Amino acid sequence: MLLRLFLLRLLRRWHARVGFSAMLFFLILAVTGLILNHGAGLGLDGRYVHAGWLARWYGIQSEPPREAFRSGHHVLVAANGRWLLDGKISGERLPQPVGLIELADIFVVASETALYLFREDGELIEKLGRGALPGVPVRALGSSARGIVLRTASGVFTSADALSWRPSTQRSMLWSAPAELSVSQRQAYEEALTPGVSVQQLLLDLHSGRFAGRYGPVFVDLLALLLAAVSLTGAWLFLVPRLHRGRH
Amino acid sequence: MNWRPRRSLALLMLALGAAAAGWVRGEVYQEPDAFVAEVFGTRPEPKVLWLTKDIQAQAAAILGHPPVQLRQRYWSDAHKSVWILEEIGKEELITAGFVVAEGHIDHVRVLVYRESRGQEVRYPSFLKQFKEAKLAQGDRLDREIDGVAGATLSVGAMERMARLALFFDRMSRQ
Repeated sequence: MLLRLFLLRLLRRWHARVGFSAMLFFLILAVTGLILNHGAGLGLDGRYVHAGWLARWYGIQSEPPREAFRSGHHVLVAANGRWLLDGKISGERLPQPVGLIELADIFVVASETALYLFREDGELIEKLGRGALPGVPVRALGSSARGIVLRTASGVFTSADALSWRPSTQRSMLWSAPAELSVSQRQAYEEALTPGVSVQQLLLDLHSGRFAGRYGPVFVDLLALLLAAVSLTGAWLFLVPRLHRGRH
Repeated sequence: MNWRPRRSLALLMLALGAAAAGWVRGEVYQEPDAFVAEVFGTRPEPKVLWLTKDIQAQAAAILGHPPVQLRQRYWSDAHKSVWILEEIGKEELITAGFVVAEGHIDHVRVLVYRESRGQEVRYPSFLKQFKEAKLAQGDRLDREIDGVAGATLSVGAMERMARLALFFDRMSRQ
């Protein structure tokens, strides 16, 4: 009888201590697990956290931008898979641009394998993949009186609407060329173009413990064992007195 | 400092590299222009459907998110139209070609698949479910599309693109 009481008190005390001290970690596991379970619906993989310390923590090298493309009214600076277009971040995992030109009411950005047509206000009209281009890789983007000009591996092509392309015979065309950035500009743009980590990746690493490094998963394993122990002791503390009462 | 997530970082960088490589090309089953040429027997000039505010709103209702661009290119003759559409399955874009004839889907093909799992959506056994599908009330398909175990999100993306192709076809003929 005394031994049973002693055991119950000991269990109750340790059940409370373990539960309380691991509460924060259990909450982190529960919340991250809950969010990850709905990750697709919440579009977590398309959301990124951009912070210098986080990129450094993940060992992601931040490349400072070295040059900018300028047309009449538009400026494009790119680094770390991100574009700063007219001062606004324009997406993630974007390719390095090779040119920027401005036509009457649109402007165009080219990468080696795609062409991006934007409205004057920066809204994307269309992205042309390699199938819609006259050739890849695109080596340079320019403009002429007839519209867009592309210099590709298979020749120079022109188009007025980016729908149909024909070999260019024109001689007067203006090619887009990057301009070197000053050191202060590089620093300012680098901060704006800090590489990011997807929210899904971050939550997965927090949930699995990998965020804390090599021993993080071992710590989470330990937490799992503690959670199992707290569950079992909780069940024990709930059931045993009731079973005992039932016998009398 | 050796407790920093070095191995995790290496894996992350590897995964990012693989994802980036996959994003650029993915598994290309057929080039989109080859698909268009196969349907028409030649490579016709593309046409453009401009997404007006109304079309954008209806396309957003179908996709569950606003369309990413303001114009959609397509190819058509008097009887059929071809739409090359892209939609995210789980994390990456799926590129699929839809042939629409007389307001029905004639056939569908997955052209580029970039996800690491769920490639089963490219099999004819799955795609044949779309044959003769048309839009019913609320811009939904007139039939249920059976899922594929392990490819639920890709199946959802294919269904949304099928609805969008039928909707765009209707808009292009108005």
